[in-house]
Amino acid sequence: MAKTADPDKAAQKTAPSQTSTGLPREALSPEDYHELLMQLYLARYFDVRLIKEKKRGRLRGTLYSSHNQEAILVGALYALKSTDWISPIHRDMPAFFLKDIKAGWDNPDRLGMSIEEVCSQVWGRVDSPGRARDNWSHIGSRANKIIHSTSMLAGTIPVAAGVVYADRLDGGDAVVVTFNGEGSTSQGVFHEAVNFAAVHKLPVITIVENNHWAFGTPVELECPTPDVADRAKGYGIPGFIADGQDVLDVYDKVSMAIDHARSGKGPSIVECKTFRAYGHGDHDDDRAAKYRPDDEVAKGRSRDPIGVMKNQMIESGMLAKKDAMAHPAEGKGAGEVTDHDFPEKVVKYLSAGVDFALKSPVPDAEEALKWVFAEDED
Amino acid sequence: MSAAAEAAVKKNYLTGLKEAMYEEMERNPDLICLGEDIGLLGGAFGVTDGLMDKYGKERVIDMPIAEAAIIGAGVGMALNGKTVMCEMQFIDFISCGFDQIVNMAATFHYRSAGEVSIPMVIRGPAGGYGGGALYHSQMNEAWFCNSPGLKVVCPSNPIDAKGLLTAALRDPNPVVFYEIKELYRNRKMEQELETGDDCIIPLGVARIAEVGSDITIVTYGNPVHFSLKAAEKLKAQGYSAEVIDLRSLVPLDEDTILESLSKTNRLLVVNEAPMTCGFAGEVMARMGRKGFELLDAPPARVTRTDTPVPWAKPLESTVLPSVDDIVNSALELIRY
Repeated sequence: MAKTADPDKAAQKTAPSQTSTGLPREALSPEDYHELLMQLYLARYFDVRLIKEKKRGRLRGTLYSSHNQEAILVGALYALKSTDWISPIHRDMPAFFLKDIKAGWDNPDRLGMSIEEVCSQVWGRVDSPGRARDNWSHIGSRANKIIHSTSMLAGTIPVAAGVVYADRLDGGDAVVVTFNGEGSTSQGVFHEAVNFAAVHKLPVITIVENNHWAFGTPVELECPTPDVADRAKGYGIPGFIADGQDVLDVYDKVSMAIDHARSGKGPSIVECKTFRAYGHGDHDDDRAAKYRPDDEVAKGRSRDPIGVMKNQMIESGMLAKKDAMAHPAEGKGAGEVTDHDFPEKVVKYLSAGVDFALKSPVPDAEEALKWVFAEDED
Repeated sequence: MSAAAEAAVKKNYLTGLKEAMYEEMERNPDLICLGEDIGLLGGAFGVTDGLMDKYGKERVIDMPIAEAAIIGAGVGMALNGKTVMCEMQFIDFISCGFDQIVNMAATFHYRSAGEVSIPMVIRGPAGGYGGGALYHSQMNEAWFCNSPGLKVVCPSNPIDAKGLLTAALRDPNPVVFYEIKELYRNRKMEQELETGDDCIIPLGVARIAEVGSDITIVTYGNPVHFSLKAAEKLKAQGYSAEVIDLRSLVPLDEDTILESLSKTNRLLVVNEAPMTCGFAGEVMARMGRKGFELLDAPPARVTRTDTPVPWAKPLESTVLPSVDDIVNSALELIRY
């Protein structure tokens, strides 16, 4: 399977072409492009709104910002069917409500979490899908086909493999997309799980969000090859590389990986090249400003996924420049951006979730002792 | 052979396990088995012998040497509606899959607020006395008793092996199942076995292996048999020991122990694992509190020394509990 060797080159040819390129994006309509842009706004607004709420003292716990990495979530999830599974980790918080959101933002039957549920989780309220028992992204939903993660990175990849093994045994055609950082690819369980999936040709798509920093350790000290996707060679599976700033390129590569998986050819790795905008968590912002060189950060943040998508839409005539300027969220940090930089639909949608969460009660203390064991069904 | 005629045959511990596997594979089409060498070979010790031929390689999976993947993939299958049996080739190797057990499987029901349960048995050959040395002799059950959300089971005879494994395979929770490999093919303790529902031994119910009145010896696994031998020796000296086989550690049958103590007023706990933070200490702590008024002597324990299990015979014998260790501790307590 071919891979794009140079992500910058891929970035240059992302505008929909008049002549067929054979890329999956050709099946997308202008409405899809607008929807993708709107979802990028929603993911970004979720991130900056939470940072603001935390600064106002209304939020406890740590925020793991997905700022500058939203195209990976939006592009990958847009390539999925409702009945596919996902496995997000800490930096993928928007994935919980973005899953299957293309079935309708307010569609109660879509197979994803509602914004109310996700906000309730963020605020530690009882309407969280996990009733606020574990924090931040450690939620899941069997009903919505979202795997519950732990803090042990790469630990959900074998679980994902087991999920689709069972699905295949039952005659299903579901794939699973697992989201991981480049740091987690050094874990032993990463190897064990991808190896098992490759042996059994399981439909497991392992997305590696290569944001160049595993907490405080640069990728050069995590991975000996220039591309993390090269790890795929050892398993005899495709290693795609996507421009993680470009939602369309992510959509293309993940769609190819899904086609490969759904046709029975097995797993693949999709490395999405990106850059972490802030610290590992908000507790790390100050130190990250010191351990990462300024010019590296400036370069890594120079291609905002919202701006990249807007430019492609302008070039292809889907978006007027004037309309693109109406909501200039791109290129702005959480401290600089205001609600006016976002479409009203996005602000309203998330605000309803926040309002709901703030009214949702905290769990009763007695719940701490519940659900250690499942009762016998007999 | 008819069921009745078959039941009349005495069978060993390993056969008990094997029958439980076959019967549950037949009863529950959603039961999947994962492990190293469990298919083509039929398992290092033969517990799954012939299972792949009968039920196919999709339900009996020969896994790579990758315990985290074995357990993790099993969790995923359970998350998606299956019942799972994961074989550890030796229970010592369970440490390679530790995170998937204690952080993934054990906590799933809790952190999903009851949405997900993980019906899964992680079973494997355990215990010393066979010259297995450091990495083929362990009893590491305390690690998992200390991890909420796991049940922990250890049968000492063929009836319990079959009955507890059947119960474990029908339990909605992850169960870590310790098989005593030294007993697998022990012919002296062969027993007649029941079939299906009739064979089930519920988890959390202890067994009184020997009735007595002077001292209560609480134990499980191979030391049940050492304790029974110790009880014989004590009888020769005029003392009557009650031996309780716990069968499952989590959940723990406290009532049976308390009832026994109300009669004997003396508690000796024997486990094959090392002393510090071993399960014997847990039994002593609970009985020291709940049974304080019943006790006429401070509870005692016989355990492995706080060392690894060495290989050469005199070294191995030095660190593992013996019949004489049990007799000596019992006499101390009786004469207190």
